[in-house]
Amino acid sequence: MKRLAWLLLFAVPLLVHDEVVLTILVFTYILGMLAVSFNLIFGYTGQLSMFHAAAFGVGAYVTELAMTHLGVSFWVGMLLAALFVEGISLVVGSICFRFKLREFYFAVVTLAFSEMVRLVVLNWNSVTNGSLGINLTTKPTIWIPTQGLIPVEGTRMWYYLSLVALMAMVVTCTRIVHSWMGRCFAAIRLNDGLANALGIDVFRYQLVSFLVGNAGAAIAGALYAYYLGYIEPGYLSIDQSLAIVAMVLLGGRASMIGPIIGALILTALPHIINFSAELRVMIYGLILILTILVMPKGIVGTLAALRAAPAAAGSYAKRSDVL
Amino acid sequence: MFFEAQNLTKRFGGITAVSDLSFSIEREEIVAIFGPNGSGKTTLLSLIAGVVRPTAGILIWKSRRLEGRPPHEIAAAGIVKTFQNPQLFAELSVTQHVMIAAHLRLQRQLGVRRIKTLFRADGGSAELADRVDHVLRLCRLTELRDEPAVSLSYGAEKMLGVAMALMCEPELLLLDEPATGLGQEEIRNLDGVLRDLRDHGTTLCVIDHRVGFLGRLADRAIAMHHGSKLAEGAPGDVLRDAGVVEAYLGRPHA
Repeated sequence: MKRLAWLLLFAVPLLVHDEVVLTILVFTYILGMLAVSFNLIFGYTGQLSMFHAAAFGVGAYVTELAMTHLGVSFWVGMLLAALFVEGISLVVGSICFRFKLREFYFAVVTLAFSEMVRLVVLNWNSVTNGSLGINLTTKPTIWIPTQGLIPVEGTRMWYYLSLVALMAMVVTCTRIVHSWMGRCFAAIRLNDGLANALGIDVFRYQLVSFLVGNAGAAIAGALYAYYLGYIEPGYLSIDQSLAIVAMVLLGGRASMIGPIIGALILTALPHIINFSAELRVMIYGLILILTILVMPKGIVGTLAALRAAPAAAGSYAKRSDVL
Repeated sequence: MFFEAQNLTKRFGGITAVSDLSFSIEREEIVAIFGPNGSGKTTLLSLIAGVVRPTAGILIWKSRRLEGRPPHEIAAAGIVKTFQNPQLFAELSVTQHVMIAAHLRLQRQLGVRRIKTLFRADGGSAELADRVDHVLRLCRLTELRDEPAVSLSYGAEKMLGVAMALMCEPELLLLDEPATGLGQEEIRNLDGVLRDLRDHGTTLCVIDHRVGFLGRLADRAIAMHHGSKLAEGAPGDVLRDAGVVEAYLGRPHA
């Protein structure tokens, strides 16, 4: 079932020739990676991190800087960016988790760190070109058996690149979530006192989840920047953090597919109806409020509950038969 | 020395919950701790498990100091405590609870190699399946294994707490009122499980108000009152001790 769904996604460019649709899907996949990696921290480990946009933005900037100043390829640059983001995340995460910041407090402190990073990016003109941002002229290259090393250009190639990247992210996160490490994350989310009593090092696994999630954001940032062709400090903005939270809440935080569905809706929406940037932020806010009020489990959670409801009613009937 | 507490004191603000208490536990014995409500029993277990830090005094575990270390390190060192009020991961199933509690077992078994299990589809749960089945059967939770913890009765919640503690494979198991909320039949089963544990080398320290159950089970008893030790010795003797009777029932009139 899941394999079939992935196969179908690979077939989409063969069936759909509309550039706009494919472009929306490329953005969906890349932002889907961002949302899935965020959900590892938020949905599975229970930490509302507002640092994700910073990891996303820094990932984009450091990839570019590494390529320009060190002369490395896009992929090496991306790897260096991920490592750099891990370094920052280690500092931010260690501080937050050592002081046992929870929920609201964790969100506020990570937001403050995120803003600090954004202000550095905004004001360090000699390196980041400040608010003007950087135009990216190079493209990532991939090696194809018959053609050798070719640049990734055009919507179709980006479609496959972003789909493979998303798939890799989903597979990695699924493995983690279903492993002993995922059980540690769930234990921390649901009852950290009990997790601690059972011998789980809460600090360590909070940090691991934060690091893995932010590495995912850095990789998504690098891809996003090179697809779009420019980087600007807006990547690290609160709006971006809010958009990520909105994607996950709208799609549903208790699943892997939920954040991707959220990413799809929030990417497609501005294209279907032409919103101005200011209005878009307002729409995100509205969606957030409505989701929390009407369907706190998100689209996927609500659908799952609807599907489970008749079954539950059936088992109840069975029990009353016994009585 | 297996386990020893010396001059252990815990004050919460102006209240002294545990006051200058010294005692020791020998390997493979069952120690009962008696005492009326508020006598400091639960605080004592919390101190040993590292949930609260002692104000003064020291704890020695296999000739190493224990006080001030965080709960997960103490659990990893071999001391695990169950909770008086069942602590659960609400939405998860009984089996998932026991799987989470297998963390230390996996850590001991595989060490750093457990990272490798992340690349396998089952994520390292195959190693645990037999052990999980065994613990569930022992605690009579097999039939409830797929139930979410929120739907369990109080007695089943208590047994799930014991099951999780067993999964940690402690050398010293601290049980805070394990029999509360259990029926006669369930208490008999618990009694069997705990004796079996002791026979297989686990040391137990148990608090309970079911003095009949615990009096028969324990090898030795300590009675507490106002955070201090009132009496110590064979369970029967301790329960007949005039001071203990008075602490529990009050001074007889007339």
